[in-house]
Amino acid sequence: MYKYLLCWRYLRTRYIALASIISVMLGVATMIVVNSVMAGFSTMMEERLHGTLSDIIVESFSLNGFNNPDEVLAAIEEAAGDQIDALAPSLQLFGYAMIPVGGGEYLTREVQIIGVRPEDRARVSEFAEYLVHQPREGQADLPPAEPTFHVPEEFRLNTYAGQVYQRTDPDDPFADILLEDMANLVPADGMILGYALGTIHRPESDEDLFIAPEGSKVILHFPSAGKTPEAKTGEFTVVSYFKSGMSEYDSMQVFVPIERLQFLRGQDGFVNQIQVKARPGADLEAIASAIRLTLERKWPTRFLVSTWEQKQGPLLAAVQVEQNILNILLSFIIAVAGFGILGIFSMIVVEKTKDIGILKALGASDSGVRGIFLGYGLTLGLVGSLVGMTGGLLFVRYINEIEDALSVMTGRKVFDDAIYYFPEIPTLVEPLTVAWIVGGALLIAVAASVWPAQRAARMHPVKSLRYE
Amino acid sequence: MDPHLSTVGLSKSYRKGRDPVPVLDGVDLEVDRGELLAIVGASGSGKSTLLHLIGLLDAADSGRIFLDGRRIDDLTGRKRDALRNGTFGLIFQFYHLLPELSALENVLLPLAIRLGPLSYLSQRRSIRREAESLLDRVGLSHRRTHTPGELSGGEMQRVAIARALAAGPSVVLADEPTGNLDANTGREVLDLLRDLNRERRLTMILVTHDLAIAAKADRVVRLAEGRLEEWSPVFA
Repeated sequence: MYKYLLCWRYLRTRYIALASIISVMLGVATMIVVNSVMAGFSTMMEERLHGTLSDIIVESFSLNGFNNPDEVLAAIEEAAGDQIDALAPSLQLFGYAMIPVGGGEYLTREVQIIGVRPEDRARVSEFAEYLVHQPREGQADLPPAEPTFHVPEEFRLNTYAGQVYQRTDPDDPFADILLEDMANLVPADGMILGYALGTIHRPESDEDLFIAPEGSKVILHFPSAGKTPEAKTGEFTVVSYFKSGMSEYDSMQVFVPIERLQFLRGQDGFVNQIQVKARPGADLEAIASAIRLTLERKWPTRFLVSTWEQKQGPLLAAVQVEQNILNILLSFIIAVAGFGILGIFSMIVVEKTKDIGILKALGASDSGVRGIFLGYGLTLGLVGSLVGMTGGLLFVRYINEIEDALSVMTGRKVFDDAIYYFPEIPTLVEPLTVAWIVGGALLIAVAASVWPAQRAARMHPVKSLRYE
Repeated sequence: MDPHLSTVGLSKSYRKGRDPVPVLDGVDLEVDRGELLAIVGASGSGKSTLLHLIGLLDAADSGRIFLDGRRIDDLTGRKRDALRNGTFGLIFQFYHLLPELSALENVLLPLAIRLGPLSYLSQRRSIRREAESLLDRVGLSHRRTHTPGELSGGEMQRVAIARALAAGPSVVLADEPTGNLDANTGREVLDLLRDLNRERRLTMILVTHDLAIAAKADRVVRLAEGRLEEWSPVFA
């Protein structure tokens, strides 16, 4: 009983021990915050990566692709038809986008041109969730858009030529010329433009300025099919924007009608990618390898089959590596706290040498004396890590409020959503990670008290009583 | 009648550099039950060492210690701890109270050491009552909640006496119990010990260098040059 009594009494009277509690607390809180933020980031990133990609991607090795997509689709169905929800062929190329910025000037950007059927694409990924319209005057949020390339008639009528045309008699000889002008200004083919391509972020006002508003014409240059590619050009009208939150995609991708792209390249029917959406809960790796085997049997060395995770492997692995390194570095904080406990405890043991002698003279056993200090260490660790856990979880819970407050105080944005593309700091508290951190801190606290406790236990009663 | 406590050929030497310095050199001692024995001797004669050996706080180089005819110096750790806790009550010159605990808690300490948390908590009322009556007995019922820092030397020694008796020992070993007290207080403490010795039929070994104190004992032995000799002081 005396162990608990003394443990408790020492805890209440040795304020120096608070220092070690605080260091354990800070270590635990930091680790919980960092892990939650990292987990939040990587989960959010995975979600977005997965959202923009389908579950499984079948690509041809050559950019030109293959002209028998129906056969390939049939082969995929045959390989894993019962596990597949939807399939969507696409044609993916690299090229340049010329975005008019007024005064005859163009902004030229390297882009990934993706020819799709938007309804199909929406079935295999979260494509449709990421489509937005340009907000109207006074609208704060971006209104969601339908997955379609349809160019509304009003775009044409809103042009200068359209304005005149509306006031012109249809039988007027100039009407035809005006119609032609309108078709020139607003091409019939729609385009979904990556949000970061079509807008410029203004940090001062925190606004996105639309440099390619809806209805504007964007010119795409891309290589034609064939062994010696030639530059081809297509003109498209922006009908909506693709905003996934992954800046890599939002600043690179433009979606156009696949048939139009095939036609412009001079290869009708060719596609170079098939996106596969698996049934929920299906084993993606297994399906991918089933598809791979079937395709290889039919058309050896023509297709590359990968799951979305394999395709984004290096990026996901990089995030994981980053998290691991941070964890290793941060566990040093707790290790430092451990050495703090070691030092403070050794000091307390020396200070309590006489008391230890008294306890032994009164019949306390070596293990009992050891128990006092081990229990003391455990209690310090417990209090420190529980307070640290509470603090860490509260910090995570209110991290965005804290970020706002810090931004106000320092006068600059701590977490700039223009850089990270997330409106808020994403967090995810994983109970298992928290348990590991708290358990690890406890273990370190107890481990650090083993040596001082052992020293106390080994003290000779007579020598300790005489200690001055 | 067999002696309550006896030692045979107890020897102990300390090392000073390379040379062993003998302190006790074959001490033979017999104490009867209920006897109050005073051990006198000059400073550094080994009185405290002898007391520590008897109280199993230290180990002798050679020799044996018997309690009720049973040898106790060769017991294993746990049994030694139990004897220190329940059979011997120790009183020190410098009181040796735990500064974090109140007077009452200090008195409770031997019982808290003996009992596990469950039995301690289940018996805490009776244990507490016992400790309070011990504090009453030493005249400190009004000081129960005070910590050692708030007590005078005499009061601290009374608490230490109450603590030594808390676990119901049969032998009390007192090492210069009045050595740190003024003459009046020392006499009071000594009278208390004498009374307790009679009331409870406690075997008491009292180490002192003060002959006036030794005079209150039933018997006095002198420790000189590592050996004990019967001694009948001539009191002026």
